Amino acid sequence: MAGPIKKGSVVVAVGTKKGGFLFHSSDRKKWSVAGPFNAGGSVYHMMLDPRDGRTVYASAPMGSEPWGPAIYRGRAGQEPKATRGAPKFKEGSDLSVSRVWHIEPGPANAPDTIYAGVEPAALFRSDDRGETWQDIDSLNYHPTRKEWQPGGGGLCLHSVLVDPRNPRHLVIGISAVGAFETRDAGRTWTTENRGVRAEFLPNKYPEWGQCVHKLAWDASEDGSLFQQNHSGTYHRGTDGGAWTEVTKGLPSDFGFPIAAHPRQKHTAFVTPLIGAGNRVFPKGQMAVWKTTNSGKSWRRSTKGLPGPGAYMTVLREGMAVDAADPVGVYVGTSTGQLFASRDEGESWKMISDFLPPIMSVSAGEAG
Amino acid sequence: MASDVSPKEIARAGVLVRIPPALRSYTDGQDEVVLEASDVAAMLHALDANFPGIRDRVVDEAGRRRPYVNVFVNEELIGTSLPDTKLNPGDVVHILPSVAGG
Repeated sequence: MAGPIKKGSVVVAVGTKKGGFLFHSSDRKKWSVAGPFNAGGSVYHMMLDPRDGRTVYASAPMGSEPWGPAIYRGRAGQEPKATRGAPKFKEGSDLSVSRVWHIEPGPANAPDTIYAGVEPAALFRSDDRGETWQDIDSLNYHPTRKEWQPGGGGLCLHSVLVDPRNPRHLVIGISAVGAFETRDAGRTWTTENRGVRAEFLPNKYPEWGQCVHKLAWDASEDGSLFQQNHSGTYHRGTDGGAWTEVTKGLPSDFGFPIAAHPRQKHTAFVTPLIGAGNRVFPKGQMAVWKTTNSGKSWRRSTKGLPGPGAYMTVLREGMAVDAADPVGVYVGTSTGQLFASRDEGESWKMISDFLPPIMSVSAGEAG
Repeated sequence: MASDVSPKEIARAGVLVRIPPALRSYTDGQDEVVLEASDVAAMLHALDANFPGIRDRVVDEAGRRRPYVNVFVNEELIGTSLPDTKLNPGDVVHILPSVAGG
């Protein structure tokens, strides 16, 4: 099913285990849906390119599982097609891309550039909208690579942040290796994990080896970052330095996604789960927690969310914000419910149920 | 499915490769292609030279057959010896997904 998507509509791209869906609405009250796209196949990540508001990219196996990972591209509302090439390691490296976890648009001044984070952990860049891909050697064959260990979801590069102020500045996150940062367009990388716990290692604060679950820019536009980790929630201040753990005030130190407000400084949303051994909402009550002061304090929101008795989970790509005013927040569960807030997380409404397990949610505006 | 190409023509031109539906986006919809190749590795390179990207769907970066992709030569399943398997003019190669899903 495909449908027209009006210019200016908010579009929520939902990747599920059985295809991708585009929810769209001009008032964020009444939603229409287009899809499923790539029906029957897992869509790990899908996003509307914010640079034109029309192009949708998705990562999914070609056809279904057998044919290997692929990047799909198309116009929003229409069935996307696989690009000719997909991220792949250099022949002879003995590494093989098994899955594309995340697609990230490049900088505004390079509208044909997109990045892909893959498993086993590596970063690739395309400068022709996904037709051909470049292997980022400096990171992908980093001297520490031989000691990288996978997290429970695999050795995946799942977060790619491109600095809107400076396209040569990127931060990426790998489970369970940690955050890396480049300020020279990927020529060199530094580990950026000071102050981040690795509860599962003998040395709790190693240089790298942390299980970062998701990274997000703070809207401060000064290089500040938020991080949801396997072992806590963190904030990093202006352009580098150590992370500060800001778990205090949350019900647990475990969760997957983190989404930051696009304009309001120091503001982010998280969905803490009971813990690594029981990845469901505490007390069976779905809740989204919000900070407006870089994590110094948190406020719980449950209005419109299910519970008690809602033993569900949200995966690392399962939460997103739009850019409207007030900001909309979207959360998809692994049990196939999609929730939306049109008042910056104060209250929620379920906009779809009975979807296949949701693997990713992203939001944007149709151009 | 019967081939549009006669056995004589195949024998003269090379090997016939049957393209599965999922990969026909690479071949502009063609369901079979005739190529000159002396082994499966050469066949995949020749296929990719004509239809860029298609080889990556059958083998990974290291040249290993993808786990749920099967290659048959004259209806005989080729196992681990995939790249080295010799081909002769007139051979018919099938590329097919194995039975899997969920």
